[in-house]
Amino acid sequence: MVELTSRTAPLRSDTEAGFLRRLGAWFAQERVFRLIPFVLVEVIFLAVILIPFLLTIYISVLKWRANRPFETAVFAGFDNYITVLANDQFWLAVGRTFYFAGVAVILELLIGFVLAMVVSQTTRFKALYTTIFLVPMMIVPVVVGYNFSMIYVDSGPLNQILAPLSDLLGTDPRIRWLSHPGAAQWGIIFADVWQWTSLTFLIFLSGFSALPQQLINAARVMGATPWQIFWRVQFPLLKPAIVIAIVIRSMEALKMFDPVVLLTFGGPGTSTQTVAYFLWEQVWVFNKFSFGAAASILLLLIFGFLIFIGIYMLVRQRNIADVARAA
Amino acid sequence: MTTATVDAARARKQRRERRNSIIRHAILLAWTAVIIFPIYWMVLTSFKDASEWVTWPPYWWPHEPTWHNYAQIFAFAKLDPSLSRQATEQAFSIWKGLADAAFVCTAASLLALLLGTFLAYSISRFDVGGKYFRHMILTIRMIPPIVVAIAILMYYAILIPYATSALFGVRISLFDTYVGLILIYTATTLPFVIWMMLSFIDEVPYTLEHAARMMGAGRFMVLRRVVIPLVASGMVVTFLFVFILNWAEFLLALTLTHPEVTTLTVLLNKFQSASEGRLYGPQAAIGTVITVPVVILGILIQKHLVKGFSFGTIRK
Repeated sequence: MVELTSRTAPLRSDTEAGFLRRLGAWFAQERVFRLIPFVLVEVIFLAVILIPFLLTIYISVLKWRANRPFETAVFAGFDNYITVLANDQFWLAVGRTFYFAGVAVILELLIGFVLAMVVSQTTRFKALYTTIFLVPMMIVPVVVGYNFSMIYVDSGPLNQILAPLSDLLGTDPRIRWLSHPGAAQWGIIFADVWQWTSLTFLIFLSGFSALPQQLINAARVMGATPWQIFWRVQFPLLKPAIVIAIVIRSMEALKMFDPVVLLTFGGPGTSTQTVAYFLWEQVWVFNKFSFGAAASILLLLIFGFLIFIGIYMLVRQRNIADVARAA
Repeated sequence: MTTATVDAARARKQRRERRNSIIRHAILLAWTAVIIFPIYWMVLTSFKDASEWVTWPPYWWPHEPTWHNYAQIFAFAKLDPSLSRQATEQAFSIWKGLADAAFVCTAASLLALLLGTFLAYSISRFDVGGKYFRHMILTIRMIPPIVVAIAILMYYAILIPYATSALFGVRISLFDTYVGLILIYTATTLPFVIWMMLSFIDEVPYTLEHAARMMGAGRFMVLRRVVIPLVASGMVVTFLFVFILNWAEFLLALTLTHPEVTTLTVLLNKFQSASEGRLYGPQAAIGTVITVPVVILGILIQKHLVKGFSFGTIRK
């Protein structure tokens, strides 16, 4: 940009006001002004994210538990990393996290897609349905966890609804869902699906509403069946929305923590420990700081790779969208 | 084609339309029931008396509706004898949690909003940080919070006390303080603010600023008098969105505070892990109290939610 009003500071200014004006003028230069917020925000990121991470790397090469004074910690090299890598529970937790996230995200995508399609086709009560379907997203995840813990309780409504079925099988209807490993896992997955289908629904709904109607009409005039219109016209146009939903939801689902704490505390046994819960327990319950530090650095490496892929996909979608817009 | 066949075809089409419509509404109503039920059950339990919390078969509506649970959680000091029950002797005042949550969320959201808006302006107008800076900011948000929490715990509880005692002779710990929690909330929500504000600021025509500059307004003046008023509604939406995120935050609050600063989510969790019999009623009341304000805020900014949750990758 051309410097339109390049102010020159007054030459003689002994007063404080003059100094302030000169300071203001210095800040108002483009090369300075553009960097003010950048520097402020970078300082915050540096202070709150980067320095802690350097510290974490340092602690991860020490041999230290929080129940001893920090001064007694000795250098241990990569021992902690080897301990983590050799720890079965860590790998099981990683695997479980991917399993939960995978199942939950697939269900959320399918349900969200169907709901968005159906809502975009209906004419009556469209706004009402949309508002109701978006409510779960706004509810605090801790409250969602609490709600489901009440529904799964052995004399809760879920068992009552299923009571005719268990009568048929001749079993006790008061099933303790969260005490059975497999059922507890599905309980957590369902709580996640309940809450976050609203997000995939929202993404797909805006995708459907952005579809160009002329293209669909043209296809219909040319004699395409509804099935063909869906697979050949609508679905390809919705691809960006699908990619975005997959990336955003998977990144979030892999962080799963709140429902695990609220519903099962990682149990029964370790059957619902996600990697976030596992690390929390190691550090905050067992005080294994060095172990936790090493594990979190390893986890960061795994996630860094995923984040890179995710952001690459988002940037690519964005660029495609820009090209399409320009064309 | 005769009229009869045309009529028959039209009738067939109408029938099919009606059948499709019924199927559609059946699907939508089924999902509505799934969405509503857990919320209904929570609100219902918050009006149930202790004897009705856990019964078999469960009660689908309170047989003796009561405000007892709300009276209990909103009690100021030690409970009035009439309010205390055997199983629930202690007072569960949520005032502390409510005040802490409101203060931390408001402060952190405001700080993030100011910094983020300024930076978004700078990115939008001057391309600060390069072409891919906006996407680099996303990585901050995608880091799992547990990893951040471990690093921050060590930073707040070890490095800062050591550093301050070495430099100033006093041990200052940010662990379990308002400042500590506000700082980390600001850092984790800044990416959202920057992305949402970018989408608003990108829409402000550059010529307006140009004109103001031509007329001799300084840069800060342009920002304050031209840009900010034009994106003011966007700033309100962004603030509310970030406020909801902070309000719902659990992991960082759980790990970085105890026992001094208590946000509402941590408070609710405390009841959950109570070993001797869970207090379903007060818990449900707290859940309702946490939920209602954010759902109202959320419905207000419903149109902009997709922008926030998808980092503006979806554009209309």
